[in-house]
Amino acid sequence: MRNLSIRKFSNNKIAWLYVISGGLLLGICLLGLFYSSVTVTVPTILHIILDKTLNMGWLSDVAKNEEMIIWNIRLPRVLLAFCIGASLALAGAAFQGLLRNPLADPYTIGVSSGASLGAVLVLFFQVSIVGLGSFTLPVVAIIFGLISLFIVFGLVRLSSKSLAIETIILAGIIVSAFIGSIVSLIISLSDRESMTQIIYWLYGSVGMRGWSHIQLILPFMLIGSFILIYHYRELNALALGEDAADHIGVDVKKGKTFVLIGASLLTGAAVAVSGSIGFVGLVIPHLIRLVTGPNHRHVLPLSMLVGGAFLILADLMARTIIAPKELPIGVITALIGAPVFALLLIRERFGKGANK
Amino acid sequence: MITVQNLVGGYTHFPIIKGLDLEVKKGEFFALLGPNGSGKTTLFKLITGQLPIYSGNISICGEEISTLSKLEKAKKMAVLTQEVQVSFDYTVEEIISLGRYPHQKGIFKQLSKKDRKVIEEVMEITQIGEFRKTQFRMISGGEKQRVLLAKALAQEPEILLLDEPTNHLDIKHTFQMLNLLKERQKTTGLTIFAILHDLNVASLYADRVALLHNGSFLEAGEVDLLRKEDQLKKVYEVKVKSQSHPTVPKPQLLMTPNHFSSSQLFNFEDSYKIIQSEDYLHVHFNRPLRTISNTAVGAGIQWLKQFCQFEGPKPDKQLPYDAGIVTSAKLEDMVMVTKVIEDIHMMVIVTGGTGKSINIMLFIDSHFTDGALIDGYMSAVEAKVKTMHDLQMFESGESSDTLLLALTQQGTNIAHAGSGTLVGKAIGQMVHGAIKECFSKYAEKIH
Repeated sequence: MRNLSIRKFSNNKIAWLYVISGGLLLGICLLGLFYSSVTVTVPTILHIILDKTLNMGWLSDVAKNEEMIIWNIRLPRVLLAFCIGASLALAGAAFQGLLRNPLADPYTIGVSSGASLGAVLVLFFQVSIVGLGSFTLPVVAIIFGLISLFIVFGLVRLSSKSLAIETIILAGIIVSAFIGSIVSLIISLSDRESMTQIIYWLYGSVGMRGWSHIQLILPFMLIGSFILIYHYRELNALALGEDAADHIGVDVKKGKTFVLIGASLLTGAAVAVSGSIGFVGLVIPHLIRLVTGPNHRHVLPLSMLVGGAFLILADLMARTIIAPKELPIGVITALIGAPVFALLLIRERFGKGANK
Repeated sequence: MITVQNLVGGYTHFPIIKGLDLEVKKGEFFALLGPNGSGKTTLFKLITGQLPIYSGNISICGEEISTLSKLEKAKKMAVLTQEVQVSFDYTVEEIISLGRYPHQKGIFKQLSKKDRKVIEEVMEITQIGEFRKTQFRMISGGEKQRVLLAKALAQEPEILLLDEPTNHLDIKHTFQMLNLLKERQKTTGLTIFAILHDLNVASLYADRVALLHNGSFLEAGEVDLLRKEDQLKKVYEVKVKSQSHPTVPKPQLLMTPNHFSSSQLFNFEDSYKIIQSEDYLHVHFNRPLRTISNTAVGAGIQWLKQFCQFEGPKPDKQLPYDAGIVTSAKLEDMVMVTKVIEDIHMMVIVTGGTGKSINIMLFIDSHFTDGALIDGYMSAVEAKVKTMHDLQMFESGESSDTLLLALTQQGTNIAHAGSGTLVGKAIGQMVHGAIKECFSKYAEKIH
């Protein structure tokens, strides 16, 4: 009886966490839509959204410019922030599970850098692969992200037998530095105007993108999320190590490949539309794990919800702190994320020391 | 259950297993033995499919493993290795539920009612229910291993493969673990194939064992093959003595480290001290003697240093001794004789009298095998009986006569000490003389 009630309680707790995260997300969405230089009332915002999506508006006279601001500028901005935050947080959670390493994140292991190089190349040379059209940008970014991931893994394989935590981060830094210098090279070769553009883009931003960018990220986000959430059991099993996972019947090679592809899809697509925004994938899954425990069945979806909400909030801060000017959103996430990263690194060391 | 035929395999370019046949029967506990580097883990990994097979084949439950998918294999066969490192703070229950992986169906693959039932069952068997919500990394090594066993059992396997599962565990947890496995083997017919380091543990738990040497079996069969000291010495390159467990009919092995084989000779006469008082006699050697005796304390074959006889109740004074008796004989009638016969130093101490028990302690500066020890014991008894006969004392007053034979175990090894041999005769002579003297002393005192 006691056990049953405990299970009920923990199930309830998890259910409540979903409700709270969902509520938080909606609240922050509304806040993001509401808070800006031009004030539009909340009922009006809701009316515009429902009217546009479900044709269920109830207000008769809504100013055209308000509708413009909400529907064409703020809503895509908020949604894009959500998509990117959700993608990065989910990718981070997956990388961490796969590498058995709470310090892994698309940014720290070099995938983001690779993807941004791909994106810069596309933007700078105005390339377009036949048949892909505007999807050239995310596809190239994803492919470059995957390539840099393989280079990082190759470096780790060559330098140490185990996928040691520090080695992965170190290899990520090496690859990021290398790619960074290539990007710098491209920037220095370009004219002044595109230079500012690329630099600003590199810092990451979700502003001035519009619906087209949501179209760019959405398919990859859906596929990537599905792949990762579908493989939650494999991620759990990998916590025991690859051999032990193999022993309980997990096809480790297949599972790893799928998780890497899924996480790279998410990262590449997110970087392609927003530039590199760091540390979301590091901070959010860590917070979720503190509350729910490490079971990926809940860590993955909750990371998406909370990651999305976090980035909307970060964007809100980015555009209000020094309004009317905007800070790059990457600055905000790095200001929050880097200290957390340092804290985790120290904790990891202490944990190790205590175990041995 | 597991059939291995003419197996060759191992790491690339270098087969470690070279032509090996093996048959593990259903419901059997089969132990794989061998030193490090003999190929135990390689064979193990070939069976789990982690290493490639060059030639030959392995089948489990009648099906060749290459035809089985990973999931099918995991349903039939579970693996328990040495302690694994678990990343993140998974709870014990979450770790165990991973064992249900091969059984989960459907797109969402949630834990079904049956899964939960199995998890509860294995937690009960392994007695880890109380830690279910505890984080895996917070529990002790022994508990961790029980959790991993529970995870393996949650797979509901027909075969359990163990790779040194008790390596990090202390004796308590090793036996707890193996008792659990043995119980499971008996009750559910689980087939167990285990790599074990400890030969004595293997002897106690396994039904059959195999000795792996340079990639093939040197011996395979019943546990009694662990009595073959030569084969064990060949494989492990250590001096091994096989003995029987005192209460269980299984062989146990005793290793002899090098530094004991070359100990220096010592002088017998200088190696003991005797203290005699009114109520006790204390013979103290400065090194342990190989002793066979039936005294109240120190019975059996052992290594002992201090020998005592007490008259009446034991004195209050704390007297250290390893072998001793309380005798009804008078200690003042004690007879002590030392002699050198056939170059062998001997000392005998006899107490006794008419109607009293006769207590003989015989110390010999020689090296007897276990067989010779018993020969010598017999020779002494024969001499005692003959002497009593000669003295016309056909029955001893009490049935509690004692005899203790102690050997310094230095000098050349003597394998026979029956009453027909020189040593046996010497023993007889010593015992005969001493008893006779003891009785005449007693008789003198009476008259």
